[in-house]
Amino acid sequence: MKKFLFVVLALMLTLSVFAAGDKEAAAAGPQKITIWAWDPNFNIAIMEEAKARYQAINPDVQFEIVDMAKADVEQKLLINLSSGVTDGLPDIVLIEDYNAEKYLSSYPDSFADLSSSFDYSQFAPYKVKLMTVGGKTYGVPFDTGVAGTYYRKDILEAAGFRASDMENITWDRFIEIGEAVFAKTGVSMCAFDPTDGGLVRVMLHSAGSWYFDKNGKPFLAGNPVMEAAVATYAKLINSPGTMKTSGWAEWVGAINSGKAATISTGVWITGSVKAEATQSGKWALAPIPRLNVPGAVNASNLGGSSWYVLNSSKAKATAIDFLKQIYAKDNDFYQKILVDRGAVGSFLPSQGGSAYMVADPFFGGQKVFQNFSAYMQKIPSVEFGSYTYEADSAIASVLPSIYAGGSVADALKAAQAQLENAIK
Amino acid sequence: MPHEQLLLRRLRGRPSAGLVFSYVFIIIVAAFCLFPFLWMVIGATNVSKDVSMGKLSLGMALFDNFANLNKLVNLPLVFRNTAFVTLVGTFFTLLVASMAGYGFEMYRNRHRERLYAFLLLTMMIPFAAVMIPLFRIFAKVQLLNSFIAVILPSVASVIVIFYFRQSTKSFSRELVEAARIDGLSELQAFFYIYVPSMKSTYAAAAIIVFMSYWNSFLWPLIVLQTNDKKLLTLAISSLSSSYTPDFGVIMLFIILATSPTLVIFFAMQRQFVAGMLGAGK
Amino acid sequence: MKTIRQSGLVRHHSTAGFHRSTGWMFVSFALILVGVFSIYPVISSFLLSFQTGRGAVYHFNGLGNIQRLLKDTVFLQALKNTFVYFIFQVPIMIILALTIASVLNNPKLKFRGFFRIAIFLPCVTSLVAYSVLFKSMFALDGLVNRMLLAINVVAEPIPWLLDPFWAKVLIIIALTWRWTGYNMMFYLSAMQNISPSYYEAARIDGANAFQQFRYITVPLLKPVILFTSVMSTIGTLQLFDESMNITGGGPANATITISHYIYNVLFRFTPNFGYAATISYVIVFLVAILAFVQFKLTGDDHAA
Repeated sequence: MKKFLFVVLALMLTLSVFAAGDKEAAAAGPQKITIWAWDPNFNIAIMEEAKARYQAINPDVQFEIVDMAKADVEQKLLINLSSGVTDGLPDIVLIEDYNAEKYLSSYPDSFADLSSSFDYSQFAPYKVKLMTVGGKTYGVPFDTGVAGTYYRKDILEAAGFRASDMENITWDRFIEIGEAVFAKTGVSMCAFDPTDGGLVRVMLHSAGSWYFDKNGKPFLAGNPVMEAAVATYAKLINSPGTMKTSGWAEWVGAINSGKAATISTGVWITGSVKAEATQSGKWALAPIPRLNVPGAVNASNLGGSSWYVLNSSKAKATAIDFLKQIYAKDNDFYQKILVDRGAVGSFLPSQGGSAYMVADPFFGGQKVFQNFSAYMQKIPSVEFGSYTYEADSAIASVLPSIYAGGSVADALKAAQAQLENAIK
Repeated sequence: MPHEQLLLRRLRGRPSAGLVFSYVFIIIVAAFCLFPFLWMVIGATNVSKDVSMGKLSLGMALFDNFANLNKLVNLPLVFRNTAFVTLVGTFFTLLVASMAGYGFEMYRNRHRERLYAFLLLTMMIPFAAVMIPLFRIFAKVQLLNSFIAVILPSVASVIVIFYFRQSTKSFSRELVEAARIDGLSELQAFFYIYVPSMKSTYAAAAIIVFMSYWNSFLWPLIVLQTNDKKLLTLAISSLSSSYTPDFGVIMLFIILATSPTLVIFFAMQRQFVAGMLGAGK
Repeated sequence: MKTIRQSGLVRHHSTAGFHRSTGWMFVSFALILVGVFSIYPVISSFLLSFQTGRGAVYHFNGLGNIQRLLKDTVFLQALKNTFVYFIFQVPIMIILALTIASVLNNPKLKFRGFFRIAIFLPCVTSLVAYSVLFKSMFALDGLVNRMLLAINVVAEPIPWLLDPFWAKVLIIIALTWRWTGYNMMFYLSAMQNISPSYYEAARIDGANAFQQFRYITVPLLKPVILFTSVMSTIGTLQLFDESMNITGGGPANATITISHYIYNVLFRFTPNFGYAATISYVIVFLVAILAFVQFKLTGDDHAA
């Protein structure tokens, strides 16, 4: 034991000498760009591709692409911004669209104003709107969460429904179809996690409404679109055609295992749908159902994120140039990330590219990305405001009472009170 | 019944109902405790889809999972970083905390007792509350993104100081008295008399401290910034939050990340139990 | 120094002064570190708790944060949840740990070393690992439900993560799984210090196993039980990992803890550090009260 302890001790001392030498303090030269993002198979891989392309133009620029969990990126960014310390900040950071305004308006001078650096008319308008605060546009729009309904043609046909039955429908009709499908085939129409309010956002967005009014005030109580959205969602959850799942794995598992016939969500799910190769040829894509309120369209969005440049960046000009050369110019790049990663960018010129024209045998030869591109341009523009998470949390806390048949108006009143207190 | 006879009967007789019950109980408890580990091992050999479907038999995907993991994570680097932080951190924590525990117990005085009570109070403050000021300190001295920043705030761990003070209560003062008479300085007495005679106390503390550094997450996440400083827990976290998480790969990673702690624990468990014995009084 | 110490007589005279300085030397490193990395941040966050604001701009708010706290339904829910965990989980775990320890303390039991390690193992896993495991095991279609269905304990899957009641049960199960072995180790060590002659005498007096446990083991273990229950109280009131990583605080905030709510106020919502600091002082306050009550209840005014 004594010997063992001595060895450990000696080892530690050697290591601590090491530590002293370890302080090279990676002095970021002006030509090094640090990027924070999440998901090694998606954003990180895409950024690696962008890096390789930019280095072909400008070989002197070094990149450090740091891969973290999404919550970790948000947390690190907030703590750096809040403590007024800029040394720790990256040059470019990925921010989820729902949260963009929170950062832009809470930390006004921290992000670079890119209004004059980019031609924003080339990007999907709804993406540009959400990153515009006080007339200035920050950020470079990246992937879209354009929504669609993926469905099993074979199962719907077995229940007597054709592709045209899935086009331009309301959620109420979707629920009807679902009940018929379930009654005839025993397969659930769809799977949802009742604790997740994502679909409520999809419904709101499809009607051009949001949790907040034009002045940024909470608009849950007395908002007819909001009432319709939660009531419809509750109806969907309680429908016999809906299978309840908990967590991501089970939700995706429901379609991969053939227990659910449709999945209605953002385009980023394509990879997970296609993961089950045995179902090839059986799937098809339809526009997402719309909410039964005036002005609602069969197009919406769930998730998606964009790149932002920090004002404190020592390589700001290079970082902006990098985003411009690749994300606002390189059509070929967008084709590659679509093919390799299933990423649908919001750079409009790229959507005429070859990858978007491919007829996918998994979807019975349907050109799904062309469909998505068409849906994307119909997505209404809304301002997400600074408090999406707070509102999400308030809605989530009243959903169970609505599922149980409680008054929608009262529940939304309670949610409104909680939200108002949370953003005080 | 005379004592000896009672003992003899117990030795010869069949296991009592109580003992049978004890076995049943302890086997059930142990099965519950071990089951998730078993499942983790099974998961590591299966493809993601089978893991999420709860497949309970070994699969063939172990090597594929490893290859994928190796592609996504720079394993040698994160293991080296984590080992470095853990070993250096554990060493200094044991040194500083045992000196403090020894100091508080062997040289009691009124002021220090008050300070000690105050130290215990600081344990009750949730870490989230001190995170911002702590972050500012390290930013001010330009130590962000360094392992020093990861280690330093936990070196003076109050719970470990407490543990050493409790253990020191069973340490015989005469040993130090004798050392003084032999001409050893107070520091020498600490290092040559106290430390060697408290080996098992150190072993028990070492395991607990090792675990806490090895598994630390929130603070390293905040202060470390670049890929070359990445730790295991941060790597697992980023892997498990992707849009399409690969559960087989994650399971395998968890096994790899957990095994060093298990090895240390197995190697030192005898000392560990003995050390807990000292503090448990 | 050395000459003073070598002469017994002189040392005797200066014991007080000598004691003082040497004692300070031993504790100084720890005190400096705690001062810089705990006490300074604590004071700084205390001052912050009287301020409010968004992002990087703060202004003085007096007791405004406290007023807001009392109207904050999520906070009140978190407080309630935390107490549920405290009231159910801590006693369950301590009783279970004591029972396991006394079973393992029986010298007639074979493979004790194996069982001891098996039961201790859960607390060795990292929280990230453990939450991934639990989340998938307790999914609606997960392993646990499949097994319960297979052995006909339940007729339909338990909605572990979807139902407020079961989600709390899940958190309690997870906590108990992870920490029982850890506490058991403390009890087992303390039990091994109890002289077997006590039990022998009790047996001769006709005491059964439960009576021995109740009248010998528990009273002699009182200081350790106190220590572990104070530590568990602190742990429960600061509970974060399980709520954050297994249930995400849901459904409908049914499992969110105070620490998790602080995290949300800091990092999920638009950050308000002043308000977060106020909430964290609630935890400090509660722990202090509960620890005091526990000391009083066990009738021990000295720390274990």
